[in-house]
Amino acid sequence: MLTREQAQRLSEKILAFSKFPDCAVSIRESEDAFIRFANNGVTTSGFTNTRSVVISSTRDQKTGTAQINDLDDAALQKAVARSEVLAAISPPNQEYVEPIGPQKYAQTSNWDEETSRARSPILVPQVKAVIDTAASKGLVAAGLFNRAAEISSIANKRGNFGYQRATDAEFSTTVRAADGSSSGWSSHSAVRIGEIKGADLAGRAVEKCLKWKKPVRLEPGKYTVVLEPAAVADLVEALGFGFSARSAEEGRSFLAKKGGGTQLGEKMFPEIVTLRSAPDDVRFPTALWSQGGLPERANTWIQNGVVKSLAYDRYWAMKTGKEPSGGFSHLILDGTSATLADLIKATERGLLVTRFWYIRTVNPQTLQLTGLTRDGLFLIENGVVTQPVVNFRFNESPVRLLQNITRLGTAQRIVGSEGAGMIAPPVQASNFTFSSVSDAV
Amino acid sequence: MISRRYFLGASSAALAAELFGAAPGSKSPNPALEKLAAVALQEARKLKATYCDIRINRYHDQSVGIRLSPERGTGKTLEVPNVSDTESFGFGVRVIVDGAWGFAASPIVTSAEIVRMTAEAVTVARANASITKQRVILAPVKAYRDRWTSPFERNPFDVPIAEKLELLREATGEAKKNRRVFNSLGTLNFHSEDKYFASSEGSSIQQLIVQSFAILNATAVDISKGLSRSRMYVPPPLSVGYEFVPQMNLKENAQRIREEVLEHLAAPAVKPGKKDLVLMPSHLFLTIHESIGHSTELDRALGYEANYAGTSFLTLDKLGKQRIGTDIVNIFGDRTTEKGLATVAYDDDGVKTSRFPIIENGIFTHYQTIRDQAHLIGEKESRGCCYADSWSSVPFQRMPNVSLEPGKPETTLEDLISGVDDGILIEGRGSYSIDQQRYNFQFGGDAFWEIKGGKKRGMVSQVAYQSRTTDFWQSCDSIANRSYWQMYGSNRDGKGEPPQINAVSHGCSPARFRQVNVIQTD
Repeated sequence: MLTREQAQRLSEKILAFSKFPDCAVSIRESEDAFIRFANNGVTTSGFTNTRSVVISSTRDQKTGTAQINDLDDAALQKAVARSEVLAAISPPNQEYVEPIGPQKYAQTSNWDEETSRARSPILVPQVKAVIDTAASKGLVAAGLFNRAAEISSIANKRGNFGYQRATDAEFSTTVRAADGSSSGWSSHSAVRIGEIKGADLAGRAVEKCLKWKKPVRLEPGKYTVVLEPAAVADLVEALGFGFSARSAEEGRSFLAKKGGGTQLGEKMFPEIVTLRSAPDDVRFPTALWSQGGLPERANTWIQNGVVKSLAYDRYWAMKTGKEPSGGFSHLILDGTSATLADLIKATERGLLVTRFWYIRTVNPQTLQLTGLTRDGLFLIENGVVTQPVVNFRFNESPVRLLQNITRLGTAQRIVGSEGAGMIAPPVQASNFTFSSVSDAV
Repeated sequence: MISRRYFLGASSAALAAELFGAAPGSKSPNPALEKLAAVALQEARKLKATYCDIRINRYHDQSVGIRLSPERGTGKTLEVPNVSDTESFGFGVRVIVDGAWGFAASPIVTSAEIVRMTAEAVTVARANASITKQRVILAPVKAYRDRWTSPFERNPFDVPIAEKLELLREATGEAKKNRRVFNSLGTLNFHSEDKYFASSEGSSIQQLIVQSFAILNATAVDISKGLSRSRMYVPPPLSVGYEFVPQMNLKENAQRIREEVLEHLAAPAVKPGKKDLVLMPSHLFLTIHESIGHSTELDRALGYEANYAGTSFLTLDKLGKQRIGTDIVNIFGDRTTEKGLATVAYDDDGVKTSRFPIIENGIFTHYQTIRDQAHLIGEKESRGCCYADSWSSVPFQRMPNVSLEPGKPETTLEDLISGVDDGILIEGRGSYSIDQQRYNFQFGGDAFWEIKGGKKRGMVSQVAYQSRTTDFWQSCDSIANRSYWQMYGSNRDGKGEPPQINAVSHGCSPARFRQVNVIQTD
């Protein structure tokens, strides 16, 4: 993969092909090795190399973009010319913002050499451990163990250049009874592949699967819930773009006030809720830049229940005289020192949710979502998990979830079923709306 | 004939242009592609692979868009264009060694890299074989040497961008003409896939697919009530060329959604309860996709998707027995329907595509299959449902076009509506969510009209319906005739790990469903 120096040289070469006043180049290259398995055997697996070069040319507020995956000089020159042709034809962007100049990017520890080189000798034994653990209990495992190594760089004619690299290892497994009558899931995501142990992962999924036998059918309705971090992450991540200052001012988001204005400064949530972004958090460092190269920065969205800040893209920041804010990658919902067991113990009657699935937005304004529980739903009575429960569909918004939070556990790096991941604790919340029963296992 | 410099690694863009170019009317693949493929097939044989295929593919995507939004403070309408062009070219090699699959892919299309990645695929397969209990068995397939192109008259990539921008400017301007419409958005997207497949079993197949898509959207906001609503126009996305774009009637439909978004903003919330539904093809296509399309995939039934997309309530014991719908419900899989998004002549296993029944007179009769699954249910051949979304993706079982047969010749849309005392007519796609075994679903739409006393009345809002797949299809009591039959589709259907997308069409006529649970959403 391209080193910093190689990426910089390549970027400079591409920019030298440009005839327009402004040109921006972003390069991405990745290498993936993965094993997918099901029914206690490997199904598909592979080793893939991919890359892309995105070139945007601008003149007179008119921009055209061309993307290719070829690093050959002639191809790059042609792509630059293509982006210029597209720009010349395009009408001016009336929300145009000038490109950024040179930026300073932080350094984060998102790279691990072992992970970047890991192939079958490292992957296969961990997959075998999962299959063996499941098979030893007469259960059936399916899952994916994927490791990725990626570099990306950005450069423009105003003198900016940035380079970053990252490794990511993700292993998730679903363990099911051979007759399909029960199911359990667990996952582990890390920068360093060495932290992931197949046997541990399988142990958690097997435990869920074995406990979820002969579930009781409960009536839909409002329940107190204890959500494990994966369930919290997939809901709370949906809040991200809801913090857009523009959507709020234009009356299109949950942060818009009836009659005009926004909820900025209002105490919408309980005191214990603090939601923020911290790109350099070692638990889950984020990309170094967003929004065309602006350095990612820390931001507190909700502080002790108060809406502390709104998100400004570069255009809206320019129109309002504010500083542009960073992106929403890897939100952090601050937790406490309490454990998941503590939350369960503090629950008189409620439902313990392992994860959600097929989450879709019902109303983009209120952020009402729908989805289903999956791979481990249990009844809690008097502080103890008493029995498994047939799965439910929910209709609920992360806004109401945060408003109804009563307790928080210890925050951790988590990638749920559908989102990009965040740092989230398990939570206890009241009045969570389950709208119908799902017979799916 | 391909020149020697390409094998030495010259410009792959130029190489792609030469590889996929064709003499008019040519029915055989480009010999240059066949020569490159032979490198992989020879190397795999040398490394003791019992099977090998290589796909050399080039993708081209173009997106042209215009958004009209009010300027902060002045309310003046500002135009925000978006013009982009994306190309991707590379190859993927698949092998079977010691009974296990291996795969490797690279964007560097040279003979040296093909040799290297074939060896990588063999290495992956050998390692997997150590933990593979069931050896891969492929259903037999004939060897084909063919070239096929999806039908189109005007290549969308040859149409000037200025023409596309002008069309969108006119349409978004129409939608935004009323000041009460907050913003409007229009996009045209075009996609092409140059695909080449060669296998160690003697096939050599070159195909070209061209697809055209459009979306218009209008949003209206009532700040005093804290409400924001939208209305979309999505013409059927199809494997067609630019000749279809004028038929989309973007300007006329922009006028319609301008009026309908304001009606939507003022529409009362639905009163929840059991209601009859009349579902239009622009909506019903996705209900077919989610509830029938995915539940009848054999890989789901076998547990291959257990960790991600899920399994299926249609387990193997239900094949040929399970009643899904009423007798009038007949659903078929088909990768041969002209203009269908999943239509090709050969799938990514090199299997010639066909049409096959899935639901016959309400009973589940066939799964969607690929070569390495057919023997698991005692079938002798694949139904041609193999697809990979990129040269860098592993081919696996994906959905063909799955469509509902029309109803009796005499049944009209008016008949469906006139038979409803208290119901809702739904158009367009909204929020779609279904469980991991495809039992329980909740579907919304883009626009909803109340039906009272057999007449279509005004718009209502905040509608979603919840049901179980079998309950729902067994409540289907009438389907309109063939003259109403339309194919809509989706080009971003997700499945698999690492995730892949698929483009698929679903044809249907409007259909009526009795006493479905309608809920009121936020």
